[in-house]
Amino acid sequence: MTLRLETKKLKRTRYFPAFLAGGLLAAAFPLINMLVRSESFTALPGEPFTILMDANWQMMAMLNILVCICGACMMYHTEYADNGAQKMDVLPVRAGKLFLTKFVVNALALALMIILETAALTWCAVHWFSGYEFDALELLQGAGFQWFVTLPTVMLMLVIASACKNMWVSLGIGVVLVFTMCIFPQDNLILSLCPFSSPYQTLAMAAESSRVPLFLGVCAAEVVVLGLLGLVYQKIRRCAE
Amino acid sequence: MNFFSLIGVEFKKIRRSKILLILLIPVIIMWIPSIINADMNFDTRGIPITPENNFFIQGFMGMVWFMIPASLVVCTVLLIQTERANKGILKMLSLPVNTAKLCLAKFAVLILLAFAQMVMTIAAYYICAAIVSQMQNYNFFLDPLYVCRVTLSIYAGAIPMAAVFWMIANLITTPVFSVGIGLASIVPSVLIINTKIWFAYPMSYPFYLLMVEYGRCAEGIYETQIAWLPWLPAAALITVVALGIACVRFGAAERR
Repeated sequence: MTLRLETKKLKRTRYFPAFLAGGLLAAAFPLINMLVRSESFTALPGEPFTILMDANWQMMAMLNILVCICGACMMYHTEYADNGAQKMDVLPVRAGKLFLTKFVVNALALALMIILETAALTWCAVHWFSGYEFDALELLQGAGFQWFVTLPTVMLMLVIASACKNMWVSLGIGVVLVFTMCIFPQDNLILSLCPFSSPYQTLAMAAESSRVPLFLGVCAAEVVVLGLLGLVYQKIRRCAE
Repeated sequence: MNFFSLIGVEFKKIRRSKILLILLIPVIIMWIPSIINADMNFDTRGIPITPENNFFIQGFMGMVWFMIPASLVVCTVLLIQTERANKGILKMLSLPVNTAKLCLAKFAVLILLAFAQMVMTIAAYYICAAIVSQMQNYNFFLDPLYVCRVTLSIYAGAIPMAAVFWMIANLITTPVFSVGIGLASIVPSVLIINTKIWFAYPMSYPFYLLMVEYGRCAEGIYETQIAWLPWLPAAALITVVALGIACVRFGAAERR
């Protein structure tokens, strides 16, 4: 019921087309890269899919993060713009439940993006690399991992967006966080586990240093902790205003 | 109303927006890794560059690539959204003020905010250079004229980009798309700067200017001369066209 309500609210904000466009744009990166200079990649030794991920994922992940920031800001902007949040407060709906539903919608839209991107990467691998073997399970694992490590970012961004009434403040905080995580060195383990930094991690990179369980565990914990923080904030929001 | 009083009015509108604080935070953050890794400035990895130039350029790198465009996007959101709330823009459009003038006044505020951020960047640079010089017992200060010249050239390079963002914000009224396009356009600028058509992509201008500066400080990294000829006319054309479209389309959704 709330899920339908939330999607209905987003209908005219062009939220889903934006995620779709973001996904298509990110999917264009490996395609363009391969069209322009395919020799420099096909000559590399190693797993084709890993080569493609190493070459393109940094930019694709950044695009994912930026689209998630936009989406989260938009979701709460529609609530705050014409005092929609106040009206929701007087309805028999819990603000916490709305928050969680927004997270679910955002996570599903992100999943759509990542599926598009994985499909594009797979197509590149099949088309350009002769030695590539199609393995659906492996692809699903990769996409699932990429999706899961992006979730803390989505959750944190929703918490920020729900806390700031003005869209430019939440957007500003979001881009500053992206910037901060960009300029700090990525090889630091603790920093790479943080939201806004974990999406850059690829499954192959994590598997190489056998940190897959660590990443999944820490990201799950981050989602839970940030989610609880968001829920608590929804309770006290009226006092803070 | 003359143009300057319009700009004054626009500034009054954003007085309580905390935008300067949002612009200040990245300026401080960008120097933190440089301070933590201050000794890395001496390890130039075979690139012939002096430590003080290395410190300056590495510090500015993230700023020009990501933060200047992102700040401009945030500022356009601020300028557009402050007036959407409570239909302020409708009231402005019903006043006997030329809409094109109003649009240009808002654009002037946008680039003045970017200028404020640049000034803060220079101030932060000197504070950090002082801290690092103390820590490493080495003079990291560069000539103020040089620092100001480079920063100003980067700022000037950001103006066509600001015009394009302003046009996008006026053309596309759904915020998620105008913001999304703005932010997404930052990502490929690293790729485009290495192609031949970089001059057609305004989001890469500040990065290009800094890379040329890098090339001048360190031989062989990048080009040492700015390719003025295709660039300057292209940049001027993009700016004029973008501002023209923005002025024509300003408030079109509200006037409908």
